[in-house]
Amino acid sequence: MGKIFDPVFMIQSFPEILKALPITLFIAFVSAVIGLVIAFIVSFIRYSNIRILSPIAKAYISFIRGTPDLVQIMLVYYGIPLFLKAINEKFGTAFDVNGVPSIAFAIIALAINAGAYMSETMRSSLLAVDSGQLEACYSVNMTRLQALWRVIIPQAIGIAIPPLSNTLISLIKATSLVFTISIIDLMAQAKIVGSRSFRFFEIYVVVSIIYWVICAVVAFALSKVEVHAKRYERKVDQ
Amino acid sequence: MIQLDNVSKSFEGTQVLKNINLTINQGEVVTLIGPSGAGKTTLLRLLNWLEVPDSGRITVGEVTIDASKYSKHDVRRLRGQSSMVFQHYNLFKNKTVLENVTESLVIVSKLKQKEAEEKAEALLKKVGMGDKLHDYPANLSGGQQQRVGIARALAVDPKVMLFDEPTSALDPEWVGEILHLIKQIAAQGMTMILVSHEMRFVRSVASRIIFLEHGELVEDSNPKDLFENSKSVRTQAFLQKLTYEEV
Repeated sequence: MGKIFDPVFMIQSFPEILKALPITLFIAFVSAVIGLVIAFIVSFIRYSNIRILSPIAKAYISFIRGTPDLVQIMLVYYGIPLFLKAINEKFGTAFDVNGVPSIAFAIIALAINAGAYMSETMRSSLLAVDSGQLEACYSVNMTRLQALWRVIIPQAIGIAIPPLSNTLISLIKATSLVFTISIIDLMAQAKIVGSRSFRFFEIYVVVSIIYWVICAVVAFALSKVEVHAKRYERKVDQ
Repeated sequence: MIQLDNVSKSFEGTQVLKNINLTINQGEVVTLIGPSGAGKTTLLRLLNWLEVPDSGRITVGEVTIDASKYSKHDVRRLRGQSSMVFQHYNLFKNKTVLENVTESLVIVSKLKQKEAEEKAEALLKKVGMGDKLHDYPANLSGGQQQRVGIARALAVDPKVMLFDEPTSALDPEWVGEILHLIKQIAAQGMTMILVSHEMRFVRSVASRIIFLEHGELVEDSNPKDLFENSKSVRTQAFLQKLTYEEV
């Protein structure tokens, strides 16, 4: 029998596991960016209460909030190939259903997921901007779009950053589910390394430390961005 | 110059303005007084289309809008005639003092950045804020913020300026100087409509006072007549409620 806990093995397995870090970061980054775009559009639809689209947006958010991340990944993973197949049959196109890399499914699923949460954050941040700001824009004859773009959105960004930071961290953690659709991310790599040595506990300690560091760095960076976005609120001693 | 024809407005079933008819001429300084809930602020905000009337017609300067049929374009033209000074200043929090004034000049009036800055600086000097151009509103006192609010409203070259209780959110120490500034602008011939509770100021600055109650124009008169021999029992009752010092 070896040691109960092997710290040397643990430290030695860092490099092996870190090989999968770029995949995890890539998935997190790309889905965050796409998620932000989705969120921007959806929050605008909800904020402006655009007919027909607004209830659809509401249903989308409700569905994403009400279903587990893992189930959403499965729906995308199995659903999109069926969808492509149906299109091929109907329109005689030749999309290669098997040619879509798993990572694309992961990114689509996570972006749709993050987009829903972020859109709610953005909408409530827009609503949190003092209504007097919009009135002041109107009083000097700015249009609604000019007001949003130049006064309301810049102020909403400062309000939105702390909750957006939370969503981003949830997204980073949710990438640990993509091993279920055969992507070698940090989590899958840990399983591989762990099954070679049977020292699973050490390996998962390593993985947890890596996630922790990523999330801490992201939270720190965004807190700096927040300070910058709210620079106009800072009181200066005279 | 300004005309309201049969203008009505209600909020959730409560009628705040009842069939208002009113004409205001160029150069007049009109003050709206009355108990809270009388509809003074709503009337003022209608002129800037910050409230939309339920019915009636509103004319400001060269633009007339009928509440039953109007376009976004009409609203922009109407808003272009006037500008508003708010009770809570409503300065753009994310913009400096200078930017608060240049914003509309660049975005709406399409002046070049440099011209806009020159015009804004001149206005800010005029209101006594020439030394705070690059401060953000968060670092200004209430009185200073309201000066910037006045400069911002002047910048759009309005045909009429609307003041919505411009001093009621201020600490008492700043009230005097803001009232003084408003009086200076009035002296230059600007058409103004004010909602104010500063009766002594109202009396000294207004050329005409309108007393509103329950959404109706009760009395419309010059300051001397209204304060000294009001014809309306309701006006008298309102004025009596104010402390002796205020009147």
